[in-house]
Amino acid sequence: MTNRIHPGIKKILHNIEKVIAGKQEVAKLSLVALLADGHLLLEDVPGVGKTMMVRALSKSISAELRRIQFTPDLLPSDVMGVSIYNPRDMDFQFYPGPIMGNIILADEINRTSPKTQSALLEGMEENSITVDGVTYNLEKPFFVMATQNPIEYEGTYPLPEAQLDRFLLKMKMGYPTLDEEIDVLQRAQKVSPIDNLHPVISLQELRQLQLDIKEVYVDESMRRYIVELSSHTRSHENVFLGVSPRGSIAMMKASQALAFIHERDYVLPDDIQYLAPFVFAHRIILRPEARFERVQIEDVIEQVISRVSVPIQKHVAKYE
Amino acid sequence: MNQKSAKRNIDFFILYVFSFLLLWEWLRPVEQLTGTSSISSFLGFVFGSLLLAFLGFPLAPTAVLKLIYILFTIQSIYYGNAGTSIDLFLNDLSQNAGSILKGQWAEMSDSFRTLLFFALLWITTYLIHYWLIARKNILFFFLATLIFITVLDAFSPYEAEEAIIRSVLTGFSLMGILTFRRLADSENIQKRSRIKRKWMFSLAVMIAGSAAIAYAAPKADPVWPNPVPFMNSLSGSGNTAPDETEQSGFRSDDSSLGGPFLPSNTVAFTAEVEEPHYWKVDTRDVYTGKGWISSRQNEQPLNFGRNVPSSLFSFTEKVPSEERTSIVYNEEDHAHIQYPHGLQRIVATSSYRYQLNQVTNKITALNGSEQEAPASYSVQYEHPSFQAEDLQASSPEEADRSFRAIANTYTQLPENVPPEIRELALDITRGHKTWFDKAKAIETYFSSSGFTYEQVDVPVPSEDEDYVAQFLFDTKRGYCDNFSTSMAVLLRTLDIPTRWVKGYTEGTYLETTEAENRIYQVTSENAHSWVEVYFPNIGWVPFEPTQGFTNEEVPELEGITETSAEEETVETPAETPEQPVLEEPEQKKEINDASQEAPQLNAGLFLKTNWQNIVVILTAAFIIAALGYRSRRKWLPFYYIFIYKRDRQDHHFPKAYLVLLTQLERCGLKRKAGQTLREYAKEIDLLFSSSSMTRLTSWYEQYLYRGSLPEGAWENARNEWESLMKKTR
Repeated sequence: MTNRIHPGIKKILHNIEKVIAGKQEVAKLSLVALLADGHLLLEDVPGVGKTMMVRALSKSISAELRRIQFTPDLLPSDVMGVSIYNPRDMDFQFYPGPIMGNIILADEINRTSPKTQSALLEGMEENSITVDGVTYNLEKPFFVMATQNPIEYEGTYPLPEAQLDRFLLKMKMGYPTLDEEIDVLQRAQKVSPIDNLHPVISLQELRQLQLDIKEVYVDESMRRYIVELSSHTRSHENVFLGVSPRGSIAMMKASQALAFIHERDYVLPDDIQYLAPFVFAHRIILRPEARFERVQIEDVIEQVISRVSVPIQKHVAKYE
Repeated sequence: MNQKSAKRNIDFFILYVFSFLLLWEWLRPVEQLTGTSSISSFLGFVFGSLLLAFLGFPLAPTAVLKLIYILFTIQSIYYGNAGTSIDLFLNDLSQNAGSILKGQWAEMSDSFRTLLFFALLWITTYLIHYWLIARKNILFFFLATLIFITVLDAFSPYEAEEAIIRSVLTGFSLMGILTFRRLADSENIQKRSRIKRKWMFSLAVMIAGSAAIAYAAPKADPVWPNPVPFMNSLSGSGNTAPDETEQSGFRSDDSSLGGPFLPSNTVAFTAEVEEPHYWKVDTRDVYTGKGWISSRQNEQPLNFGRNVPSSLFSFTEKVPSEERTSIVYNEEDHAHIQYPHGLQRIVATSSYRYQLNQVTNKITALNGSEQEAPASYSVQYEHPSFQAEDLQASSPEEADRSFRAIANTYTQLPENVPPEIRELALDITRGHKTWFDKAKAIETYFSSSGFTYEQVDVPVPSEDEDYVAQFLFDTKRGYCDNFSTSMAVLLRTLDIPTRWVKGYTEGTYLETTEAENRIYQVTSENAHSWVEVYFPNIGWVPFEPTQGFTNEEVPELEGITETSAEEETVETPAETPEQPVLEEPEQKKEINDASQEAPQLNAGLFLKTNWQNIVVILTAAFIIAALGYRSRRKWLPFYYIFIYKRDRQDHHFPKAYLVLLTQLERCGLKRKAGQTLREYAKEIDLLFSSSSMTRLTSWYEQYLYRGSLPEGAWENARNEWESLMKKTR
């Protein structure tokens, strides 16, 4: 979509551009997740710049970046924090874990045990954690950017499908193009550009943007369109589990954020169609036989989009 | 398509064969009309030329071959087998070239003309080759062929009926095949054989079908008579057939009446008269069912000097009359004398003598032995004033001596006259007793009853149709011949002796002379026909059934006293035949009867009688509607532009935008269900290389997805919307 970009967002994107060659779309989608108060799952092989991307983003918004490197022996307390008995105070003192930050980079989330994974995912959903019966609210903004190796790799614990639902978007980073990669080499020759990165937006401003996004107008017809799409994924012949209502909500939020990034105060069907693969793909489970026939989820989503008619008139229920 | 390889395929062969046939049509009449004997050598030349062109022979050898052929032909035609005589030929050539340069066309020798003709054929074959191969369009040549043949058919003895059929067949085949080639080339169709088979098959079916239909279908007779005599008479060279030009303005042959009456404006004569009157030329006694002829055609004419013999009998002395004189100044070359009813004496230069045809009552003037009317002559005649009482009193019972013969001759009718005519005559004359009343009833019948006067749109009766029946019951429109013939036949069915009179009306009034005489100009437009009815002991009494014409001599019912009229008083219809409102009481009664019955039958009867019309109208309406619906893509945009363009209010915009979407869909640019408007707009703009659709769409998006339309959107969008709408046509 050739569209204008919100000037504040543009600065952030520009900043990321300095560090990561190309990948504007990934950067934009990351911002969608951030601004929609959601979380992002990046799925790709190591070494394509996932971590660099998150670091650049957090540096741009002057947020505190916490990084958790997930390993098979990582424990939930390593994520959430731990209460340790302080003999001087005669009391347990809570030492917050890395989850108590603004931006959390959960690296290779699928390499740790489900137990630890669920500790993180619970925090993501509830915006609070409970340790030893005490509930701690997480900071605002709270943005988890998880990366995971594709499931084909050995020694991983695939995230349960139900938990994937917690992520607003899931996307692939993808290899850079040839030119981009050459550019990457040139940039990496001397000092890493990330060290010279300055914040372009304060956390306060980011909070404000997040509030503004909630004001983006979603027409009745667009809400209907989203629900139509979701319900079509549920009834699709190749789908075992379709998009949940939570998925529909996620779509609405994401599309609002995208419209806002494009400096629009209303959501277009184009926004929804654009976001559909990123919002819906990880919320759909294909039937085993369809998987056996190598049906791709992306194809299913494309079919659903082409089947649901875009509302082009007011007050006319043109739905089957 | 490779030109070389195409040269020899079967298509081209067919094309050349058809062209040859078409060109042959040009040579056929030449053979017949000019007496050219060696047409086969020319034909051979054409054949050879086209064959060489088809085979794609190089130019130089072709030219040499053709030259040799020409020279040999000329040699064998003109110089016989007396060895080669190049010298002779060259000599001839130079002589002819000289005479052409001097402009002395007549001096050209036959051999040289042949040479020129060959050259013409050469050029023509080359042109045909060019039209076939390069232009792929033979229309011009085809049209020229048709014009050539039809013109020859019309103006020369050449009968082109078959030639027209042949050339139409070949010409249309040629054009069909060439159209296919043009289409195939422009559409770049590579694998043509299947398409070609379909095309050729349907072409053959269409041509054969239409030709068969055209051949079998009944054809209208020519709208106007053979133009050649008329053109000859215009150019003044029409001395060929005196019979045809003798009576311009009306046909000399009345044996098949009908068709349009197209008189010229030629002045026949000028007359100086005391009182205006009709001019008689001819009468006819035998009705054939198609027209009039005269019996006893070989009757010996009666010669006379000044005084008209008594056999030109008009009326008896019983009829009160007044002697009058009219002077005729002839403006036209003809031999007949036109004269008033009751003619007594013809006064002209003493050298003239006259002949009376006792059957037709036609008077021909003789100057010595030559048939020629005097340039001016005066006619003395008794002007009759027929009395209604006398006429009513006259009855066949008190027949005079000449009555029996007259009754025999003038009541004859062909056997196949439809019985309806007699029924109609009985109907019209019901309640009338005397011949005169009956005649008047029939005469006035024509002034109403739905008859109209019409000169041009008058049909010729078909083979098995009676001329009178067609007019009376079918067309009800016509000119004097229709009216007068019908009246004559109606009267004859009642055994009232009637004859058909041809002549002129009084003409157009020009001026009054010092002697209180009036000058009338009579043109061929004034040619006219009427009827005369024979009354025993009185004579021939003229009647005027034709609408819009008045003959002073026709006796009126006016003078009748009330006692003699058994029915209601009758007004004077004959005086003003232009006013058809005056009807006979009988007719009124009939109409009343009919209208009383009408309401009950109305709907059913209407359907029954008009169902064909209704079906035709419904079908036509359906076809028009279907065509309109199918072509709605073309005209709907203009309708919508008209509707929406006028108003500038924004609420029009969404409607107009949706109209545009539907219109685009009609053009085959359907938006897919899952396609957003924005993507669709991009597609459209790419197609029309514009940016209007995107702009319109962005406004519409705001209306639809944002819930508000920017102020003045329609004002801004109108022009772009209109241009897009126009582009979609």
